[in-house]
Amino acid sequence: MSNSVISVISRFLEEYTTKTSNKLKVVDAYLFYILLTGALQFLYCLLVGTFPFNSFLAGFISCVGAFILGVCLRIQINPENKGDFLSISQERAFADFLLAHTVLHLVVINFIG
Amino acid sequence: MAQPRLFSLVLLTVALGAQALTPSHHLSLSDVARLQALLSQPFTDLASAYYSIVGLSKLGASVADENDACHFLKAQLDPMSVDSLFFAAEASQAISDCEIPVSNETRDILLAAVSEDSTVTQIFRAVSALSSLGLPLASQEVVGALVARIAKEDNVLAITTALQTATRLSQQAELGGILEEIEDLAARLDDLGGVYLQFEEGLEATALFVTAAYTLSDHVDTEPPLKEDQVIQLVNSVFSKKSWHSLSEAFSVACAAAALSNNRFQVPVIVSAQGPATVSHSQPILQLLVTDVLSNPLVSASVVVESAQAVASKSVILNQAPFSLRDGIFELNFMASQPASGYYQFSVAVTGDTRLVANQVELKVKVSTEVAITNMDLSVVDKDQSIGTKTSRVDYPFKAKGSFTADSHQNFAMTFQLVDVNTGVELTPHQTFVRLHNPKTGQEVVFVAEPDSKNLYKFELDTAERKSEFDSMSGTYALHLIVGDATLENPILWNVADVVLKFLDEEAPAAIQSKTLYMPKPDIQHLFREPEKKPPTVVSNAFTALVLSPFLLLLILWFKLGANISNFSFSPSSVLFHVGHACMLGLMYVYWTHLNMFQTLKYLAIIGSLTFLAGNRMLAQKAVKRIASK
Repeated sequence: MSNSVISVISRFLEEYTTKTSNKLKVVDAYLFYILLTGALQFLYCLLVGTFPFNSFLAGFISCVGAFILGVCLRIQINPENKGDFLSISQERAFADFLLAHTVLHLVVINFIG
Repeated sequence: MAQPRLFSLVLLTVALGAQALTPSHHLSLSDVARLQALLSQPFTDLASAYYSIVGLSKLGASVADENDACHFLKAQLDPMSVDSLFFAAEASQAISDCEIPVSNETRDILLAAVSEDSTVTQIFRAVSALSSLGLPLASQEVVGALVARIAKEDNVLAITTALQTATRLSQQAELGGILEEIEDLAARLDDLGGVYLQFEEGLEATALFVTAAYTLSDHVDTEPPLKEDQVIQLVNSVFSKKSWHSLSEAFSVACAAAALSNNRFQVPVIVSAQGPATVSHSQPILQLLVTDVLSNPLVSASVVVESAQAVASKSVILNQAPFSLRDGIFELNFMASQPASGYYQFSVAVTGDTRLVANQVELKVKVSTEVAITNMDLSVVDKDQSIGTKTSRVDYPFKAKGSFTADSHQNFAMTFQLVDVNTGVELTPHQTFVRLHNPKTGQEVVFVAEPDSKNLYKFELDTAERKSEFDSMSGTYALHLIVGDATLENPILWNVADVVLKFLDEEAPAAIQSKTLYMPKPDIQHLFREPEKKPPTVVSNAFTALVLSPFLLLLILWFKLGANISNFSFSPSSVLFHVGHACMLGLMYVYWTHLNMFQTLKYLAIIGSLTFLAGNRMLAQKAVKRIASK
């Protein structure tokens, strides 16, 4: 059982490192960073408490929102998905990403207290 | 036989139906004395001498020293001044044997003052002086001047003065026009609550108006156009003030009082009880004071009780009973009709003079009596009635010989009757209380004894049921009976007996409870809201570092992947874009620390639009480059 899991994972990693383009790997690295940050915030909340609850929520939602927007960007700039996003060029995807982030940051800063 | 009965019945209904206004103020004897004292002040000048001398004469009194007064008048007289002549002449008339010397010049000055060009006051003073000094004057000319002046000076005081002037003129003159002014002036009076009628100019103006109206009406022998209610309201206004701040005000009140008590048409009657309006067996006579506004008794009047009706039972006790006059007081022996105790509504009529106004008066008379307690029986009754009751009779004012014991199986009972000492009729006073007092603990419990249908008072104390009122404190209680009523002359507080009460499950003396009720209570310390427990700074700092560490990881990963900025074109739009973007991030930080949403949005709009334009340009260039390189 564990054997097949390990083999699946190793196969996945191999495919990933070879098949994905650099650009996407850059975005993936960013997504991984966001994920870690969010997880660490959640860990803090579990361990120490929710004292400034609004701050915790702001930080956590910032991570969640950034992750989602990052995923959207990744989907839109992936050349394999070009068929789904005919009218949206890569630059346009990036611009949308920036705009959405501006709004997200505005809300997060407002809520962080 | 039936006719007079029927007539009196009709009269009764009329009398009861007519709720006429009666005067609420008048000058009592002490008020008259006070007024006289004020008017008897030493003279300061001719005007004050005039007010004092003439005012006192109106009240039927005279100055202390008439000779002195006369000398004063003669000394202070200025024969060239109309006012001076007026004061001196009028005052000298009030003193016997006082003659003011008159010369032709005096006459000329006075006659010259009577013209359309002088004020009404001047005309009045000149005319009065002329008539007091016995000099001839042409009444018709005066009337003409007055009418002309009234048209010019249309105020209350001027018209009142004109009325006063007319009283000095010959009856043959045309005074009709001036007489009509009384009615016009009366219309200008202010009605205050239906009780007072006065000019807004004040008490003096009202009093002078009353004097002028009656004097003039008497002079021309015409009834004044004032209704009875108006007269009473004027009486209330003029005599409501009992201390007068100036000599002229006191003088005007004295003149008004004299006019109201002695004129040919309307004399208001004041009816009041002498002392409290109460009769009893010891004081069977009801005394009434029937006077005019100066408290002079109207000895020629006949005072009759038209009806005396009991307030409680509405039965009529008296019908057309006359009062008899003795020493200026009208008396009636009401107890002779043997009324039961209580309140009676008297309807009194004062007749004998057609001039009397407000001569129907309603009076409330109280008949009081003495009460006696009879048949006071005390007993201790067993609840299940197995043991016979032991009844002992106690006579007032003695106390029962033994004490009565009642525990939770027994009831303590008390019955008695309250009777009128004089008539033997049973009474039901307002207050019949039974008070139990424990001298040791200071407890006091009060119950009400109620009469049954036969007017027999009963009180029953159920020991078990009432234990909460006694706080279950067993002990000896002194029992008092309290009887009181407004119509009783001898209220009773009688220590009837001692009662020993035994309660089950006696609690520890909580009798001191009530004393602590009014002691200061323990202080309340305010607890401020505790701030939430913050984690230690070490932990927070550690976690801050931990949360920021993935950024390092990101940079390492990017480096490993070979992400670089080698393709960075230094075109103005990209520079501007990056600068604008950096500014936006900086704005976020500033928003967190200093700004509010509105300011941020304002700045964001500016920076954002710049960044957008630049970014748009930059990305378009990038796109072109990308497509070109494909």
